[in-house]
Amino acid sequence: MGQLGYLFAANAFVWAGILIYVISLMRRNEALRRDLELLKETLEKDSDK
Amino acid sequence: MSEDLDEKGEDSGINWFLWGLTLLACLAMVYAIFIYVPTEKQEGLVQRIMYYHIPSAWLSFFAFFIVFASSILYLWKREREWDIYAQSSAEIGVVFCSLVLITGPIWAKPIWGTWWVWDARLTSTLVLWLIYVSYIMLRLQTGAGSMRARYSAVIGIAGFLNIPIIHFSVLWWRTFHPKPKMITPEGFGSGMDDSMVMTLMVSLGAFTLLYFLLMGQRIRIEKMKDEIDQIKKERLYSH
Repeated sequence: MGQLGYLFAANAFVWAGILIYVISLMRRNEALRRDLELLKETLEKDSDK
Repeated sequence: MSEDLDEKGEDSGINWFLWGLTLLACLAMVYAIFIYVPTEKQEGLVQRIMYYHIPSAWLSFFAFFIVFASSILYLWKREREWDIYAQSSAEIGVVFCSLVLITGPIWAKPIWGTWWVWDARLTSTLVLWLIYVSYIMLRLQTGAGSMRARYSAVIGIAGFLNIPIIHFSVLWWRTFHPKPKMITPEGFGSGMDDSMVMTLMVSLGAFTLLYFLLMGQRIRIEKMKDEIDQIKKERLYSH
């Protein structure tokens, strides 16, 4: 592999790593936000009964 | 209620501002690495990996320092808030320490002729990564509570003590890894060309902004988990 190949590999690993971590945070955030909303809705329904 | 909405709106405004600023800083960093800075004469193109490698190392050290400081504050004040900061920062630190351990060997192969050597700098960095991976594993394996927070705070503090060893390893022992060029006895950045110092500063700035952005997201996750647990507990006791 030439110098350009090593530079490309390092560049790809860094941005892929950061991107994967950001996406994982956003997905966890979204899933928890949905759970929380659902829980609050259920509580509101229960208190209305 | 309206105050709550205002606060949320303000938070989201700050969040978008930070996203925008970080994106701009990352674009400036890529421009500086691939267009602005000239190719180094001795190592050639591959030397540009340094502008990812050093900021990743800086970010992981900074993140582990936050773990260290938050863990001390948790043991002192026993407030969940500090435990959340420590946990969030440890995860980010491990991500960027992994990038250090990946970009290092990619840079080393064409220069040293080998991916890895068991010298003091490389080995102590691997040990640091293992300590904080075990910190995260401990948190995943044990149930939430003050005992988990206490044990992980102890690991968080002990792990940070490895960082001065990593920093001084290239001065204390004979290593393959080069000695610091940014902070030298002759002065800040005196071992490097001005354009290289500038590119490195832009990269360090971009990665620092990225840390605050990721930290905000990660803290929000822990707070939402706590809120869900709290609601579930209250519901359980009310029935």
